[in-house]
Amino acid sequence: MKKGYFGKFGGMFAPETLMPALEEVERAFKAFTNDTSCMQHYASLLKEYNGRPTPLYFASRLTESLGGAKIYLKREDLNHTGAHKITNALGQALLARYMGKTRLIAETGAGQHGVATATAAALLGMECKIYMGTVDIARQRSNVFRMNLLGAKVVPVDSGGKTLKDAVNEAMRDWTKTVRNTHYVFGSALGPYPFPTMVRTFQSIIGKETRQQILEKTGSLPHEVIACVGGGSNAIGIFSAFIEDKDVILTGVEAGGHGIDGKKHAARLCKSKHSRPGILHGSYSYVLQDENGQIADTHSISAGLDYSGIGPEHSYLSGIKRVNYTYATDEEAIRGFTALCELEGIIPALESSHAVAYTLKRSPQLAKNQTIIINLSGRGDKDIFSVADYLGKSI
Amino acid sequence: MNRYQKTFQLLKERNEAAFIPFTVAGDPDLDRSEAILKAYIDGGADILEIGYPFSDPVADGPVNQRAAIRAINAGLKPDTFFSLISKVRNYSEIPFGLLLYANIIEHVGVEIFCRKAADAGIDSLLVADLPPEESDTLAKAMKDTGLGRVFIISELTPPERTSIICKHVDSFIYVVSRLGATGTNSAPSDSIKETITKIKSVSNKPCAVGFGISTPEHVRQITATGAEGVIVGSALVSLIEQSKDNTDLINKMKQTVKAYKDGTRKTQ
Repeated sequence: MKKGYFGKFGGMFAPETLMPALEEVERAFKAFTNDTSCMQHYASLLKEYNGRPTPLYFASRLTESLGGAKIYLKREDLNHTGAHKITNALGQALLARYMGKTRLIAETGAGQHGVATATAAALLGMECKIYMGTVDIARQRSNVFRMNLLGAKVVPVDSGGKTLKDAVNEAMRDWTKTVRNTHYVFGSALGPYPFPTMVRTFQSIIGKETRQQILEKTGSLPHEVIACVGGGSNAIGIFSAFIEDKDVILTGVEAGGHGIDGKKHAARLCKSKHSRPGILHGSYSYVLQDENGQIADTHSISAGLDYSGIGPEHSYLSGIKRVNYTYATDEEAIRGFTALCELEGIIPALESSHAVAYTLKRSPQLAKNQTIIINLSGRGDKDIFSVADYLGKSI
Repeated sequence: MNRYQKTFQLLKERNEAAFIPFTVAGDPDLDRSEAILKAYIDGGADILEIGYPFSDPVADGPVNQRAAIRAINAGLKPDTFFSLISKVRNYSEIPFGLLLYANIIEHVGVEIFCRKAADAGIDSLLVADLPPEESDTLAKAMKDTGLGRVFIISELTPPERTSIICKHVDSFIYVVSRLGATGTNSAPSDSIKETITKIKSVSNKPCAVGFGISTPEHVRQITATGAEGVIVGSALVSLIEQSKDNTDLINKMKQTVKAYKDGTRKTQ
């Protein structure tokens, strides 16, 4: 297979000014992961600072209410800063320092990756700038304030749909200018090689922990693992440990927005009519686009899933039919959100609520002795404004 | 000899660098875009650099991104683009370089796109997000249709990579005068001379310098470095953005190009 490709997907579709930087990151990432002291430092931070391993929790009341498969939650919401994003941000920040960089930049949609990068920058004493669409700044404003508290500068992006895609554009532009002292911490398994591979590597600890935990708790592998998919980092993180286990069903849940027949969604692998393979932000993968090849704007109630492209490995896993991709609409996601609040006392992120929403439909179809694991990728404190708006309530 | 070879040879005899103005096709609308390209030619452009608008141009700054959005909203799409180029080709025999993003070619289909571009009168392609590593399929289609290849080299490009890129180039090497996206916010950096020397030590292909060049004085400075061409983009695109109506825009574009062109004459 050609370097940086998953089947025919992936690659390094980057402006020439970034190519030397990408090659530098590739070399440094290999050296970093082969350096025992670097990896020990990373592992100790994950444990002492981040709170890993995160628990695998049996959701008994949710299970009981649905009357089907036993449902376990991988509690990524219990990570420091409230989502799985910190696991990747810490890894890349350490790598950046290893390369001698003094400044971190990142894009963020929901703000969780921005908060995670700002946190890592504060921890390591680095300068930090976060690019964020103005639509997302409005709906995730508590995270904007958190980033400011952590010493990061949040740059509003007002172009295009003013969401994640537009924030990536601006972050890439910054990087072309500042590559000498700056590392771009991609937040998802997206972008030009080596980023999809690197982010998957850092997030694969989710799957490794989960596999061990479920074997300890139940003595067998799960029937199905369910994760939401925006760019796809939490999903690839948990799926990676189960890909070789052919009997384990893997399901990725995309943002169905107002339904996938129109344009108000972010369903790339669910065969919506505007999705086809193309090149966006450095890699070849499925992309929502119009009939002339211009990238389409998207809609989701969840800022973290509101993106036109998808990590290239997901396009590959979809093509070889190893992972099933489905979607949940805004309305279904809210039902998932509410169910977890009321039945388990957990306020989930709206992103993760898409995985819960699919589980609400899926669990009753399975037998009681079967097991489902949901990757609960983040907590939902940041989403209370969006949920209140949706429910017509003011807070 | 192809159009590029003829142009660079003629300019060498005249002791001039090529002046290469840029605009986004379809900006601010199809008719005025045609008029602007013709005004560039009338003003003395030696080569045209024509951008195909893309919704997410990561190598371009805000000025060119806004131009792209204007052009898309004005109806620029593959068919209208090729017919626009054909009309300008009927007007002039100077080389036309096309600058675009990989998704447009991928969407139209690599072979079809190259065939239509060549038929319309395009001479070369520079794909902003397609480094030589990813360009095998396109390179074959371009060779089959006679399109020349243009690649970028920056001050960060290491010597080995510089040699590899030069081997991939047919038409000219696009030297970026500074890091970052396109835009007018800074003067050319001091490193251009070094970058050109680095290129000249491994290749005799023409070098054209672009990014951030916005005044006739910048053009003179770049010409003095020994570059064979000078590209001005955002500074011209800004004029389109600033014009409230089109009464004087076309004439203004022509006069501006004329002033830039004067900066490329070394004998002055």
